[in-house]
Amino acid sequence: METIRDLVPPPHIQGIKHFVDYALVDEILRSKHFRQGSHQESQPFFGDSLLTIDHDVHFERRRLQAPLFRKEALEYYEHKELLPLITKALEECKEKRDENGVVRADLCALVRTMLARISAVTTGIDGVDTQERTDAFRNYIEQLGTGATVEWSTEDHGEVISRILQIREGFVKEFYGPSVERRVGLIKEFENGNLSEEELPRDLITLMYLHWNENWDEELPLRESTLYLVASSQTTTHAVPHLMIHLHEWFQEHPEDYEKRFDRDFLKQAGHEAIRLHLPSPALLRIALQDVTLSNDVEIKEGERVACLFTPANRDKTVFGNDARSFNPYRETPNIKPWGFAFGGGEHTCIGRTLVTGLSARTDNDEGTDGTLVNIAAALFEAGIEIDPNDLPTYTELSYHDAYGRFPISLNNL
Amino acid sequence: MGEGKKFNLKIDQEICQGTGYCVRVAPELFVLETTEHANVLIVEPTQDYENQIIEAATLCPTRAITY
Repeated sequence: METIRDLVPPPHIQGIKHFVDYALVDEILRSKHFRQGSHQESQPFFGDSLLTIDHDVHFERRRLQAPLFRKEALEYYEHKELLPLITKALEECKEKRDENGVVRADLCALVRTMLARISAVTTGIDGVDTQERTDAFRNYIEQLGTGATVEWSTEDHGEVISRILQIREGFVKEFYGPSVERRVGLIKEFENGNLSEEELPRDLITLMYLHWNENWDEELPLRESTLYLVASSQTTTHAVPHLMIHLHEWFQEHPEDYEKRFDRDFLKQAGHEAIRLHLPSPALLRIALQDVTLSNDVEIKEGERVACLFTPANRDKTVFGNDARSFNPYRETPNIKPWGFAFGGGEHTCIGRTLVTGLSARTDNDEGTDGTLVNIAAALFEAGIEIDPNDLPTYTELSYHDAYGRFPISLNNL
Repeated sequence: MGEGKKFNLKIDQEICQGTGYCVRVAPELFVLETTEHANVLIVEPTQDYENQIIEAATLCPTRAITY
């Protein structure tokens, strides 16, 4: 099957200037003469969230949220939340073993289940505990993700927005509302001197209500939470299926490497390649704040929207070599990030990137973290993941995204 | 880190994108010399700067700061 496809520009970015060279995209993302231009239609879900605000306001919001991604927090998420949840999700799969001891599952759904609680912990959503509640929560994240990326939907956008807003009401009632209520109560206890700040939950919702800004509207924490919930699971859920099919092909062509399926450094490099080739956000729009002349002499007028196409930029041969369009876990990319623009660039670089890729050592005494991609891939290989050559994965038809909609796997070693 | 021990503050110039966030939270430690990159002003700051160093390192969008 075709595992590397070209970006098909969706209707919302047609008719505006496109940039596909790595260097020019990098220049635009770094420039302070542009602001965010994506997510115009998805404002009801992401409006005024960290993703869509710029410059001073972006800096202040990011500063508020940065403690959630401190080294200690990342270590906590990985060791105390992610690893046990990967184990738990695989343990639950055991109940579905057939007479030969083989489990058949859908990889996309399995990865979402593994990540659901991490999303809940960082955002501050309570009650994602039983299998039933986790499934319900996971479904909400998936639906909110559809609304938050409505620009890429192949369905009628107005219908998608209405449908997902209605679904969001259920999410608020079942999960978000009670979680906010509990946190607001705890903050009151803190303000009355009955609790210390250390006793408050360390999550997005608590931070926002603890440091409430009078310029925020009442629904902003919900939209910011939506961003966290969707983004914290989307990249890994998007990347793991691509990583698995590329490694499946790689091991067929390079059987001598099969033993490396447990090698975390190898998996890390392979993961970087998978997200370089298959970006969860394949394009970003920017709006010029003034007349700008780029280094290639292209002129952009004040107020003009331009599209940075990350998919072709991440396959730029001048940066990634002549085989840039292919998967190569041994690729060396001196001077640039191996995942290219998979997490954006400039001030809008994804705040949660380290959750996915891990955090390299901060001090001489650190080991860093491996991130969700490596940990999940390693666990799947331990569980004996195999792709059925007679039941290959299929791409989603509901979006222009380069994403699998169905990814049947077998787990032969549970 | 023991008392009196100093940090070993570095910015990976290949990763830094010059957002200047580090300068905004710790102007004593970092400087934006060009629009492309920030630089370290004090290579071995004392523990007195610990909070600023950690905030700058965490806030950096590209996580280019090590200590």
